Amino acid sequence: MSSIFYDKFERHSHGEGLKGRATHYCPGCGHGLAHKYLAQAIETLGIQDRTVAVSPVGCSVFLYYYFDVGNTQAAHGRAPAVAIGHKVSNPDSIVISYQGDGDLASIGLAEIVSTAQLGIPISVIFINNAIYGMTGGQMAPTTLMGQKTATSPYGRNEYMGKPLKMAELIAQLDGPVYVERVALFDAKQRVRAEKAILKALRMQVEGKGFSFVEVLAECPTHLNMTPEESETWVKDVLANVFPLGVKKDVENPESWYHPAKPIFDPGMVMKVVGGTDEAPHRNCKSFPSHIAPNDISLKLAGAGGDGAQTAAMLIAQAGINEGFDATHIPSYGPESRGGTSYADVHIAEDEVLSPASPKPNILVAFNAPSLAKFGPLVKSGGTIVYDSSTVSDPPPPPAGVKQYGIPFTGIAMELGKQVVKNVVALGALQAVTNLFPADTFLIAIRQALKEKAKVIPLNEEAFARGQQAAAHLV
Amino acid sequence: MTTKVRPKPFLVPHFCKGCGRCIDSCNKHCITAGTEIDPLTGLIPVHIDLDTCNGCGLCIDACPEPYGLTPIPEDATPADFELMDPEKLFGKKTNTAPNPVDIPDETIPLPKFEPLVVKGTYASAVGAILAGCRHFFGYPITPSTEGAELMAKLLPKLDGSFLQAVSEVATVNMMYGAGGAGLRAMTFTSSPGFSLMLEGISYMIGSELPGVFVNVMRGGPGLGNIAPEQSDIKLACRGLGHGNTQAIVLAPSTPQEMLDVTMLAFDLSFKYRNPVIILGDGYLGQMTGKVTLPPTMLRPGIPKWAVYGDAMHRANVHTSIYLDENDLENHNLHIIAKYELMAKNEQRADAFFTDDAEVLIVACNTPARMAKGAVEALRKDGIKAGLFRPITLWPFPIEAFRKSITHAKRIVVVEASNGQLEDEVRLALSKAGIHNPPEFEHVRHFGGILPQLDEIVAAVKGNEVAA
Repeated sequence: MSSIFYDKFERHSHGEGLKGRATHYCPGCGHGLAHKYLAQAIETLGIQDRTVAVSPVGCSVFLYYYFDVGNTQAAHGRAPAVAIGHKVSNPDSIVISYQGDGDLASIGLAEIVSTAQLGIPISVIFINNAIYGMTGGQMAPTTLMGQKTATSPYGRNEYMGKPLKMAELIAQLDGPVYVERVALFDAKQRVRAEKAILKALRMQVEGKGFSFVEVLAECPTHLNMTPEESETWVKDVLANVFPLGVKKDVENPESWYHPAKPIFDPGMVMKVVGGTDEAPHRNCKSFPSHIAPNDISLKLAGAGGDGAQTAAMLIAQAGINEGFDATHIPSYGPESRGGTSYADVHIAEDEVLSPASPKPNILVAFNAPSLAKFGPLVKSGGTIVYDSSTVSDPPPPPAGVKQYGIPFTGIAMELGKQVVKNVVALGALQAVTNLFPADTFLIAIRQALKEKAKVIPLNEEAFARGQQAAAHLV
Repeated sequence: MTTKVRPKPFLVPHFCKGCGRCIDSCNKHCITAGTEIDPLTGLIPVHIDLDTCNGCGLCIDACPEPYGLTPIPEDATPADFELMDPEKLFGKKTNTAPNPVDIPDETIPLPKFEPLVVKGTYASAVGAILAGCRHFFGYPITPSTEGAELMAKLLPKLDGSFLQAVSEVATVNMMYGAGGAGLRAMTFTSSPGFSLMLEGISYMIGSELPGVFVNVMRGGPGLGNIAPEQSDIKLACRGLGHGNTQAIVLAPSTPQEMLDVTMLAFDLSFKYRNPVIILGDGYLGQMTGKVTLPPTMLRPGIPKWAVYGDAMHRANVHTSIYLDENDLENHNLHIIAKYELMAKNEQRADAFFTDDAEVLIVACNTPARMAKGAVEALRKDGIKAGLFRPITLWPFPIEAFRKSITHAKRIVVVEASNGQLEDEVRLALSKAGIHNPPEFEHVRHFGGILPQLDEIVAAVKGNEVAA
């Protein structure tokens, strides 16, 4: 008796009576043997303390009744995902996903295939008995053609699909290092099964990668056979469809999984999240209430790629640097490039209450459709700045609104980089509205580009050129 | 040279199911099919005759039962067999698994830093990192993806683990694993993805596992669109998968609060061993704002209930299956008692000008910001408006709400859903025995349009005139 089994199965009906020492499996069931070989492998490798066994849904849902290791029970088909969660949480743990054919080959196909391809070092024991046991003898994805089950009462036919050969499928993938199909029907096969399960665990202990052992098992109860007949059936019928043997065995696989212990050093954490203890210089003497009393609403609008969002972000950053509250909300079409791209920005003296800008004080329009759409919404007393390189025939502004055309694109092209047109626009915006002093914008620009320092001079020049171009219009 | 000990097998008949695998494994034909039914099991155990046994052990290898065919212990006496005492026969095994104890969390002071200027989802990701989360699992879905992208960028620098799962279904089950290991795991998702996670959330609740879910709600039903809505309130408060499920649901309304409630969510999740849901909206997720960092961060320990995969935690199990009806009823009573504790201790709300409010606006998430602006505008016009903003949608902060309605003549629920927030308010009132609340009105939008400030003002004033 392997020491890996509990002394008494307390979780099996509270260990009452014989249940404290007997499994819940039917006579002749293959699970018991697979459990036994798994227990022996854990014992041989000396990994009892490190082992986490994931019980599936199916007859082996109660794996945790028996194994004196860390245990968890997964939702139907999801055992490999749960196994990943455990393995990445403690890379030193040895994680076993034990699954049946319904669990692994039907409802859990996505999880097993993706986990196998990931190749993370876990060990999967897959019990294929060609039928659903726990739910009472329904068709499994591995049920044979012509095999009668509760849900294929006339025999499995083409309308129900053909039996799925998981070991071959898994062996096709790049991730696994070891895949074998074994059986239990005679002493020779049992020795092979025992060795295969041991090897699957050893591959994990040695950190080599993902292993998969498919065990052709007997389910006499739902095959309506005696245990002996079911052994013969597996040998003569099932193993013909699911050929036994090693399907993949990578010699000396290179282990890729070398996780380090997570870092909790506060200095490192702050660096990583982008925290800084340098307070930006403030240039504003007071809130720019010449635009609006305590909450300024802006809209920046253009096509995707115009840089409206970046410009909006810089304005918000500038406002916050000055000690005000600020918000920015983007809105864009589904296209990554070329669709619409609108940004709502608010700068508030105390707190931005309503972050949307349905009626902005300031509009920055990068193209004609944006100007036509949002120009009429600008509040009286407000300002519109648009790209005169792309808008040749601007509609008149609403009453009480000032409108300025500056060739954002033209200036940016002269500088050799069309992408800086949004910074040209910010320069122009500064010149015509005096939202913040120029230095406030420039500090925000330098902050945003601190990891791309060599493009800072270009952006500074773009800003200055936007300012100059707008200055003579005011 | 020592000869290998080849013990002969023995069998306690009660533990034999008579499958007969041992029969054909024995070359010496020692074992034959039994003929007598065992009165305890109703099964027919095999019959063993050891006269010709050479101790090859093949029958022992063939027996599927842990306490089935077993080598005869060297020191066994005939009396042991007569008594069929398993403890004597199989040897008394002392359980070596230790009693697990909590490895406590450690609070680490942070240096003083300038506020960050970040999106709501970023703020939440930063909050998670400061709360000690180093394990992220997720599946990309707009408008929540930025949070996942930031985690993908930051976690490797902290030797954490970012894993893009094959689906949201796999995501939640990876969280089940990581939460089960006792670690702080999270995900960002958005409405359709959240729907897919509900099954797993039910399992986490059933197995009492922590985990933080940030659902940046978008327009629905179906694929809907990627613009903001609040139509998953019902799911989060009333529909977390199957079974008697409930979880704390937090509704932040600013990027700052995204950080704050994410940190809080981890604490609550571990305090109650239950998932915590953060409901944001598409606006909030993408909204950039000022975020002040807290004075401390956390290095989490390992709770005693974890299945970590080490000696200390070997005795633990996580499961949600209880076959016995009494066991499952007791388990339900246990988790329902936790819900009651949460309901009592974790109500959170923000009240804005509610002390004398005659028109009480109720809103959460981004609509609450619009509503706050509306309250200010209405007050300027002499209307005694106030805003009640639940921060916990479940448990609904009924105690604070009860105070806020003292002078209220009207309750105006402002939301981007078909009354899902209003339903929570009404249910909370009813359960609190407040059966004659002020009249309910509402401002609702769908499909990605949020109620705007002017619209809320107009709705309040319009009704004022009509009254």
